[in-house]
Amino acid sequence: MLKEVFMPKLSSTMEVGTLLEWFKEEGESVEVGEPLFEIMTDKINIEVESYDEGILLKKYYDVEDEIPVNEIVAFIGESNDKAPDTPPAAGNVEQSEEEVVAEEVVSQEEVTTSEEFNGNVRATPAARRVARENNLSIATVQGTGENGRIHKQDVVDELNTKSSKLVTPLAGKIAADQGIDTGSIQGTGARGKVVKQDVLGQQTSSVQETVELERIKLKGLRKAVADKMLQSASSIPHVTLTTDVDMSKAIEVRKALLPTIEAQTGYRVSYTEIIMKATACVLKNHPRVNASLIDNEIVMNQAINLGLAVAVEDGLIVPSVPNVDKAGLAELTTVSKELGAKARNNKLTPDEMRGSTFTISNLGMYAIDGFTPIINAPETAILGVGRIVEKAVVIEHVVEVRPMMVLSLSFDHRAIDGAPAAAFLTELKERLENPWTLLV
Amino acid sequence: MREITYLEAVREAMSIEMRKNNDVFLMGEDIGVYGGAFGVSRGMIEEFGPERIRNTPISEAGIAGAAVGSALTGMRPIMELQFSDFITIALDQIVNQAAKLRYMYGGKGKVPMVVRTPSGSGTGAAAQHSQSLEAWVTHIPGLKVVQPSTAYDAKGLLKAAMDDDNPVIFYEHKLLYKTSSEVPEEEYSIPLGKADVKREGTDITIVATAIMVHKALEAAAELEKEGISVEVVDPRTLVPLDTETIIESVAKTGHLVVVHEAVKRGGFGGEIASMIAESEAFDYLDAPIKRLGGVETPIPYNPELEKAAIPQVPDIVNAVKETLTKKAVAK
Repeated sequence: MLKEVFMPKLSSTMEVGTLLEWFKEEGESVEVGEPLFEIMTDKINIEVESYDEGILLKKYYDVEDEIPVNEIVAFIGESNDKAPDTPPAAGNVEQSEEEVVAEEVVSQEEVTTSEEFNGNVRATPAARRVARENNLSIATVQGTGENGRIHKQDVVDELNTKSSKLVTPLAGKIAADQGIDTGSIQGTGARGKVVKQDVLGQQTSSVQETVELERIKLKGLRKAVADKMLQSASSIPHVTLTTDVDMSKAIEVRKALLPTIEAQTGYRVSYTEIIMKATACVLKNHPRVNASLIDNEIVMNQAINLGLAVAVEDGLIVPSVPNVDKAGLAELTTVSKELGAKARNNKLTPDEMRGSTFTISNLGMYAIDGFTPIINAPETAILGVGRIVEKAVVIEHVVEVRPMMVLSLSFDHRAIDGAPAAAFLTELKERLENPWTLLV
Repeated sequence: MREITYLEAVREAMSIEMRKNNDVFLMGEDIGVYGGAFGVSRGMIEEFGPERIRNTPISEAGIAGAAVGSALTGMRPIMELQFSDFITIALDQIVNQAAKLRYMYGGKGKVPMVVRTPSGSGTGAAAQHSQSLEAWVTHIPGLKVVQPSTAYDAKGLLKAAMDDDNPVIFYEHKLLYKTSSEVPEEEYSIPLGKADVKREGTDITIVATAIMVHKALEAAAELEKEGISVEVVDPRTLVPLDTETIIESVAKTGHLVVVHEAVKRGGFGGEIASMIAESEAFDYLDAPIKRLGGVETPIPYNPELEKAAIPQVPDIVNAVKETLTKKAVAK
């Protein structure tokens, strides 16, 4: 009995998964819960485990293939089962349960009407005779008949393709000397005959390739980030507001809480957590900034879940810290640090990457003041955090030195207008400059 | 050459023989002045008299018994069964006597008799007068079975049947009686066991018997318009069967459709298909063999249903296309 292995749909926005690695080869036995392959979604790398035990009969995709969700990736079954050569059509994202069931029934029928029956090739006697006479294995012939039956013509066609590559004797000799496979050369002579020039051309092009610059294919996480950024930057009208924040009192608060929180959690509270806490409080007063824009609807999120942009090797991952408004700084510190570590170690679960309603991107560890962050769709705003640096500021007609920090708020102008965005950022600035108001 | 009907060809074959050979005589119900149920023997009683054109009681067992007895004692009887359906009543004499005696007497006796009998549907004669039971008798060693499809074949094959020293069941199709073809006036014999390629072709072989030969030829003409070249083989005699001609044809075309009017289940088509599967033509088959035969029901009286109960030209056309088209037409 054949069992399908589907590309899982791990999040509401996931449409394809990129196959990163196979852990099993065709013919290997598989236990329930054993990892079969690793995939990369738009958010995460994850190992897909087997739901069935049996033998991995057929893999339909290779590493780096992009596979739509719910597509059949592989078949698991008994050793005498025979999986079809091409993956049966799989379900769609929008299917109801019943349709999925119907689809499965259909795919099973297709399995039973596959090319082979009890492991034997389905071929007519005439096809077998012609194959036998030409020392051709009938199993290598693609049948075009009913149920994939191999007819005489199929065998004749196969024999013709095998012998149809025309190569001039000179071209053949040069190719043989240089170890070039003439089969891979596009012939330019009459009836596609491979001539001397074709072989020489092949030689030079292979030489040229060696001096070419290193090219890194957009794949895996890099590809996921690239796609998401392009989608967001090209489809969302971004506006970025910036403001200077006097962090004097926030620094005091951090200093005061540092030993307490470290004793309690083992983690050192950072400005990120303080900014998160302040942001969550202010978002409560500005629910539109916490909203998501999905299919022409502004979805007013109840929870305040903050995405935290984490730089990882050649990529960017955004774990979600849930219900920041309800958490104390100690809890927030623990959760943020743990998620950050998981992100860097590539151990995040899909759940831990789901559900953020607003994202914070902190470049404060670099010599960066303000920047224009790109919105983490379908969210409608993102906060960019710059470094804290001492600057001369004028306070009540006197120049003073204060630790200043630039906040950059990018918002989706489809969902939020300039004035409410400015009001949000202004209130955030005031809260951070007077952090005790967070206690209210 | 002149054209005569199938019916006239049968009568002419008998008359020519009876003029030369005084041992030959005809027995049957109403074959005298009335000329037989289909008029085959009309005029013969005037030429040969009631001694040689013998009206019999309505007893097929009696006719068959008399035929077996007279054949054993040196005569060469022809018996007419008014409808081939009535062979049921004559079968004990035919199967247990006529077919066996030459073997049981080690060749010292012989039963040179011909059972002439009209078969087939299409005349509105309903279930008891429309059957095609030729497969029954092909199962009996000792009987030869002939199914001519044209007037020419009927005359030549009947001559061979009358000359044969074994009992021969000679099936005449009711609907073919009125069909005509060119028939030589002089006597000729077509050997039993020699099939006839009624139409040459290269893509597919149709083996058809009796009336189905004509339907197959019609289908072949239609299929030719679509570029399909059909070879139509008429075995003419089921026993002995000219396997060589059929095998040769199938080896050439690689495709076989067998068509007969008799019910498909247990019909002679199964024998032909099996014979091909066992033959060297097997290695040349490029599609499953297809059989067309009557449906598994008594022949209905209603004319439309009667037609629907047996293969018709469009059925043959479809069967050929299905066999030649790799993909199923309707799945």
